[in-house]
Amino acid sequence: MKKQLVNMTVNGEEVELAVYPNTTLLEMLRVELGLMGVKEGCSEGVCGTCTVLLNGQPVRSCLTLALEAEGSEILTIEGLTPEDGLHPVQQAFIDRGAVQCGFCTPGMILSSKALLDRNPNPSEDDIKTALSGSFCRCTGYTKILDAVKAAAAAHVDPSDG
Amino acid sequence: MRLPAFDYQAPDKLDQALKIKGELGGNASVLAGGTDILVNLKHRLFSPATLISLKNIKELRRIESKPDSVVMGAATTLAEMADNATLNEHFPVLIKAIRSIGAPGIQAFRGTLGGNICLSPRCLFYNQSHFWRSGKGSCHRTGGKECHALEGSESCQSICSADTVPVLVALSAQLTLAGPGGTRLMALSDFYTGKGETPFNILPEEILTEVRIPLPWAPISASYQRLAMRAAVDFPLVNAAAVAIVDKGKVELFRLVLSAVGPAPIVLKEAEAAIKGSAPSQEMIQTAGDAAFKAAEGSVVENASLSRQYRVKMAAALARRAVKEALGL
Repeated sequence: MKKQLVNMTVNGEEVELAVYPNTTLLEMLRVELGLMGVKEGCSEGVCGTCTVLLNGQPVRSCLTLALEAEGSEILTIEGLTPEDGLHPVQQAFIDRGAVQCGFCTPGMILSSKALLDRNPNPSEDDIKTALSGSFCRCTGYTKILDAVKAAAAAHVDPSDG
Repeated sequence: MRLPAFDYQAPDKLDQALKIKGELGGNASVLAGGTDILVNLKHRLFSPATLISLKNIKELRRIESKPDSVVMGAATTLAEMADNATLNEHFPVLIKAIRSIGAPGIQAFRGTLGGNICLSPRCLFYNQSHFWRSGKGSCHRTGGKECHALEGSESCQSICSADTVPVLVALSAQLTLAGPGGTRLMALSDFYTGKGETPFNILPEEILTEVRIPLPWAPISASYQRLAMRAAVDFPLVNAAAVAIVDKGKVELFRLVLSAVGPAPIVLKEAEAAIKGSAPSQEMIQTAGDAAFKAAEGSVVENASLSRQYRVKMAAALARRAVKEALGL
């Protein structure tokens, strides 16, 4: 097994890394780049805590080889947060008490952002479908739905963040 | 969980991929989207020396509308299919099945059609970590001589857990398998061997390249039903699909397929024959339910998170629901 080069844009910065083929995108982001906002939960694609945005789409970084993400644009929770303050979806999660233990929160927020970019005025069912791949073991789903609805009502600018 | 070591190749052309697969055979596995194989690698269920990624092969990622059929490259993502206008127009039932797979993120990156068809059959005693399995010892699937789910079984009884499969079988889909010596066409229903340890009729040198769905001669009405513990991120523990063409008050075409009850989907041929040719009637619902019950009783074993008894009863219920919806009863 030899290391191979991989190029991608992570949170707006171009990165080039030599990785082993069996490195997942999750391991690359956490270990190589120190982006600890990407969480490892089940590690088998069930829980959704490792969700990052790849070209604007939520993906499971634990089920993605780093080499498979060649040439893509990756956004993690660190890249979502502007220099000052918080992204409106992050703020909505805090305002509505949608953060309990916080482990699922980065994945939930990124999935919500991807939904609102695509559909600024989602129905409750749209939100449930978009977040269906993320588990909250504190079972705080009601507050999370409230937060996404509040962020949508506040007319989140899709270009934000 | 960490992945085991492997080499990785991502050829640009199908020819190159076939050459690598031809040389390495069973020592190389195809990586289409990775949502199933990477989990199985993490559990140390497979140990290929090389993964051949299909991500750069554009010809495997397309949906082509032909006069008599729709042809899809095997590496087409589930989300690309669900958003495709032709598929939505002709086969909304297939879109329903696709939308029930995993979650939107899995459908987009990168659950693929070929990956769902070649989904490794699942079993409560097999899809576990290496540590968990080490407590039970080997089974047919892991080189042993016994089945932990069914005492005395001579082969593996794992469950074909793909959502698209019963629908595609009901739609008479065909597969193209490419190998170093050329390609061959196979009915999807013939692709499954019924043995969990060697579930697919594919040679170690071959790659699944295309899926073709013939266009029906008249508008179809269809239904897809599934039973799972959760609505998202869960595999079906029984599923059923029915496809019908009702013309001038008569059932001109009828297909009824039960799956997730064993290693291969089951075409309920007797029920199909009994229903075809007559006017839709309430009795047909019972006929289908009885046929599904009988088939499930001979196929379902205690190898899932729901009991055998419940899954058999639900097989009948899902078949009844599917017939009811497809025939508009």
